[in-house]
Amino acid sequence: MNNAVNVLLLAPFIGSALAYILGKMKKPLAFWVAEITGAILFLASVVIFLKYSDAPINFDLNWIHYGNITIPFGIYIDHLSIIMLLVATGLGFLDIHFAHDYMGEDPDQPRYYAKVLFFIGGMILLVVTKDLIGAFVGWEFMGLASYLLISYWYFKNSAANAGMQAFLYTRFGDIFILAAIALLMVFVGTTNLVELNHLADAGEINKTLALVVALFVFMGAIGKSGQFPLYPWLMNAMEGPTTVSALIHGATMVNSGIYIVARMFDFFAYTEALFVVANVAALSAFIGSTSALVQKEIKKILAYSTMSHLSIAFVGLGVGSLAAGILHLVNHAVFKALLFLAAGAVIYIAHHTKDAWKLGGLIKTAPWVAIFFAMGSLSLAGVPPFSGFFSKELVVASAWEWGNGFVKTFVTIAALLSIAYITRLWILIFLGEPRNEDIAGSVKKPSTLWMRLPLAILAFLTLALSLWQDDIIHYIVGDNFVEPHVEGLTVFMLTSMFIIFLIVVGLYLKGLNLLYKIASHHFVQTIHQILYNGYYVEAMITWISKNIIVNSIARAAKWFDTYVVDYIVNATVALALYTYKFFKLGHTGRIGSYMGQMVLGVAIIVVAILIIVKGL
Amino acid sequence: MVAVDIIFAPIFLSALVYFLTRGAEHLTKYVALAWFIVLFIISLNWLNQIMHPESYAFPPEIINYIKATGFLPLGEYLRVPAFGFSLTLQIDALSVAMLILTAALLILVVFTSWEEKNQAAYFSLLILFSGPIFGVFMTTNVLWFFMFWELTLVPMLFLVGYWGAEGVEVKKVFNIEIKLPSRVYAALKFFLYTHVFAMFMFVGFFLLFKQTGYWDFTLIKEAAIVTPALIWWLMFLGFAAKLPLFPFHTWLPDAHVQAPSSISVLLAGVLLKMGAYGLIRFIIELMPVTTARFAMWMVVLGLITTLYAGFLAIYERHIKKMVAYSSISHMGLVVVAAATLSYDGLSAALYEMIGHALVISPLFLLAGWLHHKTHTWYMDEMGGIMKYAPYASAIFILAGMAALGLPGTMGFIGELTIIISAVKSFGWWIAIIAFAGMISAGYIIWSIRRVFHGEPSEVVKRSEFHMSFPEKFALAVYAFLIVYFGVNPQPIFDIANKAFSFFGGM
Repeated sequence: MNNAVNVLLLAPFIGSALAYILGKMKKPLAFWVAEITGAILFLASVVIFLKYSDAPINFDLNWIHYGNITIPFGIYIDHLSIIMLLVATGLGFLDIHFAHDYMGEDPDQPRYYAKVLFFIGGMILLVVTKDLIGAFVGWEFMGLASYLLISYWYFKNSAANAGMQAFLYTRFGDIFILAAIALLMVFVGTTNLVELNHLADAGEINKTLALVVALFVFMGAIGKSGQFPLYPWLMNAMEGPTTVSALIHGATMVNSGIYIVARMFDFFAYTEALFVVANVAALSAFIGSTSALVQKEIKKILAYSTMSHLSIAFVGLGVGSLAAGILHLVNHAVFKALLFLAAGAVIYIAHHTKDAWKLGGLIKTAPWVAIFFAMGSLSLAGVPPFSGFFSKELVVASAWEWGNGFVKTFVTIAALLSIAYITRLWILIFLGEPRNEDIAGSVKKPSTLWMRLPLAILAFLTLALSLWQDDIIHYIVGDNFVEPHVEGLTVFMLTSMFIIFLIVVGLYLKGLNLLYKIASHHFVQTIHQILYNGYYVEAMITWISKNIIVNSIARAAKWFDTYVVDYIVNATVALALYTYKFFKLGHTGRIGSYMGQMVLGVAIIVVAILIIVKGL
Repeated sequence: MVAVDIIFAPIFLSALVYFLTRGAEHLTKYVALAWFIVLFIISLNWLNQIMHPESYAFPPEIINYIKATGFLPLGEYLRVPAFGFSLTLQIDALSVAMLILTAALLILVVFTSWEEKNQAAYFSLLILFSGPIFGVFMTTNVLWFFMFWELTLVPMLFLVGYWGAEGVEVKKVFNIEIKLPSRVYAALKFFLYTHVFAMFMFVGFFLLFKQTGYWDFTLIKEAAIVTPALIWWLMFLGFAAKLPLFPFHTWLPDAHVQAPSSISVLLAGVLLKMGAYGLIRFIIELMPVTTARFAMWMVVLGLITTLYAGFLAIYERHIKKMVAYSSISHMGLVVVAAATLSYDGLSAALYEMIGHALVISPLFLLAGWLHHKTHTWYMDEMGGIMKYAPYASAIFILAGMAALGLPGTMGFIGELTIIISAVKSFGWWIAIIAFAGMISAGYIIWSIRRVFHGEPSEVVKRSEFHMSFPEKFALAVYAFLIVYFGVNPQPIFDIANKAFSFFGGM
């Protein structure tokens, strides 16, 4: 089993280097190296899953020893890690497989696969490390890989901007984790996540300190998992290749925030931080689901829905149900990967058209993709018997049972709205008449092996997972799972969803004219603008960083540096010149004047010597 | 070869090389390379002797001396008994770390200036520079330290002033206009600045002598006097200008911009380290009691320097100035770490000094290289260079990531250890230096966006991007070191722990 751990830790990075080097020699090799590495990683995860006995895999290394401080680096694999490993490596493998065709025409493939493998390495590192420091290393690796992959098509200004934005937004959160690490190292003496939970259970940590640390860690999670207010990067991250969006910005990296909160769950529960988590997440869920209603681009709709569903998982954690949060994380990862890859297939078929309003009627040309997309959509919407239904139901029920009014309302709205936006998207892409003849006339056929197979596997999984829901819950929390009971919730949810579904179908299939009429109303347009721009949070953050940070603070610093600090330095030259001119006045040519100056000089020297000798 | 030859041989060697290679100038660099490799090997050997004295056939009293003081004695030369004054050479782990760094950077500088103009003079000056710089780190006599300190300026003055960039600087102060070629302005500013502040240090050393009657570092330290504030401030000013600390930093962007990029590497990698070395050796080690009194001043100045220079870097369009401000920003972190006056803080400071040298050097080299190829300094006039120069872009991004403290690079370890030590010594509030990591992310990522990503600009399309093999090699070495010591930092921390173990018991 230790071999499997070693493979997991090393193979991605070796594979990454190999994919680049071999790919530079012969292009197809890059894909094959990545595919094989992905398969090996998934197999290693399965081996760990199968061979896992009751005790967690646990070993420590001393990484850095400086002064009297030791910075450890430990490996800790328990059930939670194994679930994350299976999700990350499994979806990673399918994603690489799918990329064979999707990225097949790209001239720069070695770079692509090298970065993807590096990303998977970061994700693995995050979920198997024991210390917050090690987790931070993996966390930042993923941030780097995400940055490089979003700006993969760096020659497009939009992609370059999106990458920069993603890095800076997530980095802003990460800084808080760095501060949290320092606080933990100094005031608690350990960053060991398992031990922190034990200390919290025993109540041996100062509560204020624990609250600050928990909030700092959550700040990092906000950045990485696209919560309010640091979410706009996630939408712009859709500039990257769709396979990247599927893996990183849909299924794995964005889950890391949820993972870290789940990993420190007892620590969070010990403080009031979970309350903050629940409320921020409920707000984000609402923002994400409402904004998803009005987006035009396929991927942006999916991105806002990702944000909304991550928030739903966070709400599960926030109201105190670890099982609900992780269960939704797993289900969401599967169906969101499915949806993104299916969207990738659509985009591939339609020659990189991303605007859903330009598509339409694709069910005739790509029936299988339509079916897989529909399965993913049903799971996302939370329709039984798809897996999404169970976890969403569990989160909403937990929120009703334990959450406050704000959390309850917003998470329910978010859960209900998901059927609206995903139905709308599916109708826009697959039903109706083709709205753009150019695209409709020249569609490509998706290949069975490379494109349909991963979709079929994921579609099957999203159904099959619903059989294992109880097993997953049991696997994570053991026997101490408290199931929330809310009378009539399921009936209420399903009826409301059905009504919403009918409204959306009616509007988009039969009542487009009515829809246009509603949309042209002034008030509706204002609302539409606000939702379409993601509540203007991006505009606000951009305004702050541009006008306050760069053009006020940095500019003031520059002004101060040029006109005060450096001016004084240069003024010494002027001072020297004036001194020279002053003493030049003494060059009169008369003996008497020279004599007088000499006497003055001697007097000054004598006084100076007296002062120095007596004074010091 | 005795130790003193290493310091004085370069004077003769450089003259010899200069005159003998007339007509075959390209040979000079091989001589320089060979000499620097010799220096590197000798330094490594010294390191080994200091870390494991028992495995060498030293007389027992020397082994005891090394164990007691940490210093490896290399002899006393040029005695002037009347003044109790001699060139005492002895090195400990701190100085030997600096020696190795210096020799390594000098070797790499030869590769990166492979095609420099007027080679005989250039490499002779480099060889000449290697003498006093080794002297600075090897001697424990404060007067000799001062002399070597000043002597390093002379080759630097010429290297910046002659091989520097083109252009004319016009500054208007009151109603006097200063008009000089920019490189001369920068070289003079650098020279005068360091020279003037070295005078404060000089006076400080004299006052120290007046107090104790010793010129030698180890003896003054043993005298363990409580130093008056005046001496502390005089010496602190001398080192602060070299580091540089706010508000004495304005010479650095000018000097860096005008210097050829290989010389920028020496400025950032070695000359700034003289300041940090002096700060640790002659302020913290020599006057711990007084330093403890003024530690808060150091922290605040270091903090201001870090954040202030970071903001300047954000606002900067000029690529090399951006890197220069980044360099200042990181040196501020070194001061914060040193000001903790703790075993772990000083170890972190030494690590960050080495890390800073290795991280900032490729950035300077690439900034200079980009200017050389595109003939513009301004980042907003570049764009999309990654398409034309993937190798250079990859190295810049890697080094940039190290500068902003991404894990897996030296920058992260430095930042992490410094933040932990600072919080440990000063309390939770100092955790705001974590924001240095955000500011540096701001300027690094934005500059990558403007220079390497995006649509290629007209300027870039017109340019031709070719990098010579020696340059590529040197950059690859930097990249390797950044990652290697970022993943496995313990070798450096072993040296650092050895150097500051005397703080362990305090």
